[in-house]
Amino acid sequence: MSLISRNIFRALIQGSQHVGKGVHTSAVNLQENVCHASQSISSLQSSAKEGRIKCTLIPGDGVGPELVYSVQEVFKAANIPVDFESFFFSEVNPTLSAPLEDVVSSIARNKICIKGILATPDFSHTGELQTLNMKLRNALDLYANVVHVKSLPNVKCRHHDVDCIIIREQTEGEYSALEHESVPGVVECLKIITAAKSERIAKFAFDYAVKMGRKKVTAVHKANIMKLGDGLFLRSCEEMAKLYPRIQFEKMIVDNCTMQMVSNPNQFDVMVTPNLYGNIVDNLASGLVGGAGVVAGASYSAECAVFEQGARHIFSGAVGKNIANPTAMLLCSANLLSHVNLHAYSKMIKNAINKVLSDGKVRTKDLGGQSTTKDFTYAIISCLS
Amino acid sequence: MAVRLFSKLKTLPEIRAAYASSAAAAAPVQLSDFDLQHKTPVIRKQQLIPKAHYGGRHAVTMLPGGGIGPECMGYVKDIFKYIGAPVDFEVVDIDPTVDNDEDVQYAITTIKRNGVGLKGNIETKSEAAYVTSRNVALRNELDMYAYVLNCKSFPGVETRHKDIDIVIIRQNTEGEYAMLEHESVRGVIESMKVVTASNSERVARFAFEFAKRNGRKKVTTVHKANIMKLSDGLFLETSRRLAKEYPEIEHNDMIIDNCCMQLVAKPHQFDVMLMTNLYGSIVSNVVCGILGGAGLLSGRNYGDHYAVFEPGTRNTGTAIAGKNIANPIAMINASIDMLEHLGHHFHADLLRTGVNAAINVDRILTPDLGGTATSTEVVDAIKRNISENH
Repeated sequence: MSLISRNIFRALIQGSQHVGKGVHTSAVNLQENVCHASQSISSLQSSAKEGRIKCTLIPGDGVGPELVYSVQEVFKAANIPVDFESFFFSEVNPTLSAPLEDVVSSIARNKICIKGILATPDFSHTGELQTLNMKLRNALDLYANVVHVKSLPNVKCRHHDVDCIIIREQTEGEYSALEHESVPGVVECLKIITAAKSERIAKFAFDYAVKMGRKKVTAVHKANIMKLGDGLFLRSCEEMAKLYPRIQFEKMIVDNCTMQMVSNPNQFDVMVTPNLYGNIVDNLASGLVGGAGVVAGASYSAECAVFEQGARHIFSGAVGKNIANPTAMLLCSANLLSHVNLHAYSKMIKNAINKVLSDGKVRTKDLGGQSTTKDFTYAIISCLS
Repeated sequence: MAVRLFSKLKTLPEIRAAYASSAAAAAPVQLSDFDLQHKTPVIRKQQLIPKAHYGGRHAVTMLPGGGIGPECMGYVKDIFKYIGAPVDFEVVDIDPTVDNDEDVQYAITTIKRNGVGLKGNIETKSEAAYVTSRNVALRNELDMYAYVLNCKSFPGVETRHKDIDIVIIRQNTEGEYAMLEHESVRGVIESMKVVTASNSERVARFAFEFAKRNGRKKVTTVHKANIMKLSDGLFLETSRRLAKEYPEIEHNDMIIDNCCMQLVAKPHQFDVMLMTNLYGSIVSNVVCGILGGAGLLSGRNYGDHYAVFEPGTRNTGTAIAGKNIANPIAMINASIDMLEHLGHHFHADLLRTGVNAAINVDRILTPDLGGTATSTEVVDAIKRNISENH
């Protein structure tokens, strides 16, 4: 019975969303876009028909749906050949959430996904230690998280020209969800480090550096204290570094790394970190260039890529207020387009973002302006060319 | 409303079933050759390196080499961009004039970590005895013991024989190419040909497995065991022994000199051919010549862990470099082989139909095949055919 009611709700909600979308798009002044990319065939999917590709879409919690909506508006206006397969997926709202298996199979089929942030409650009420995010990552083996922290034009920050890539292992380490209370009042939390996964992430980092033409990889660790666990991680990185004689390899202890990051972030190029350190450094670095609203990230498995914001905040205080900054989500979508070989569209969106930001007339609240999410989206759309 | 809900409920189990089956499909049912190579148990002690496969994209080493290599690689990159092949190239240039091995070692390292390479012909300009041939060094270092050349006629190319379909499998790492030569007395030079049971067995098994997997009927071992009774004898004996394990595949043998004559006179009698290193080199060039020259066919080097794809005949074509008349088909065919190996069958098919249509239907041919088209015209014709077929 609950299943039926759930499906009714979902059908109704999705239906109303579609109506809403239609109304809005007709209001937007659609531009004529001359785009050369439509000539090229693009996809990782063999079933792509007429050059259109499918992408799984998870709006997420908090301001996620508003941001995703902004992306859809831009895609529609630019006439981008991507069809979204939308899933409501949430941990804090389990009754409405789509089952994990459906979402996983959709992503596995489409190989690409764009995802908002999922809220995770602070305490577990059911005894479940794994969050939904972790389950999704484990199911798809999305082991590598990449956050490209780059200064944006005309965004006032303490540091300029920051350009570093932070690569984080996200399927083991502190996030293994292995915790237990051996005696009342004593909780043990296991941090798992394996050679296979450490080598894999180290290789990913170096290969990414090669692909992006970077010069240096810094391994972030705390092997002076956790000699075995982080020691293994560090050793694996050193081992992999031998295969890349043309890329400089450096190591840095995580506490020093955070200090260096806030005082002299320009020294960093590519960084590779275990799970928790990566999370902290990601957020720290995002803060340096303008906060959660402007930094894009992506998670990779061997087969799939999930594009999501770099700093994971749901910004629940802004829900429905129309003030969230969609820049990060739009950058994610641009990265997604270049991942599936639609480079011209990707450039188009990136250029539009740069133009709007450098003009500085339309800014959302987090960047010191007064504009709304919608204003910003329309400003982007009017800059598409 | 109620009716709509009812229909929704009715379709639900089907949707679920469909999802369940596609979830099973999430793990690739049919492993690509690339995946298989990363699963096979280690035969030689080798450091296992995680595979370079991220978000559905593969990283591949590209060695443009000398002569027409760089321009052909340019065409391949261009076409890959056009069809959206999920491959990222890591280009490594090797300076042919330098006497040290640094670049080659780096190239080998990149192939080790990427698992796959696409290469043009690398020149070794130095004739100093201590500088080994780069191509040979690459194959030996990566232990790529089998070389496969698919020789299939293109109907659009004028040749003496039609409908040839031969696969040449060549031992790639030892034999005459052992690079053991010395001058024992002044004026007397000895060159050693090394044949080992283990390598002969590996390549013979490769040949029979290849025949079995691709539905081939016959394997012919090519040798000169009547003269070199021990070395070629061992090779022949090994393949005869293995042939017994594959009773469904016919096996015969032929002496190399006779084989060359038969090839130019009656090439249709051959199916899969298995041979040692030097004979393989000669026979592949003979067959390439029969089918239309150096610019058409592509060869594949396989080891237990690595695969390198290259044009079928190992000529650099320095004389025609930069004149926009080189035939890009060989390199493009090599890239198709590479896409197949990586499991990107969709893109491989796309490209193959484009190439076939350009050669066989539109007959856009470069001067080496008797046409008048330039390299870029061929590439454009392929692209045009791809977009028309898609």
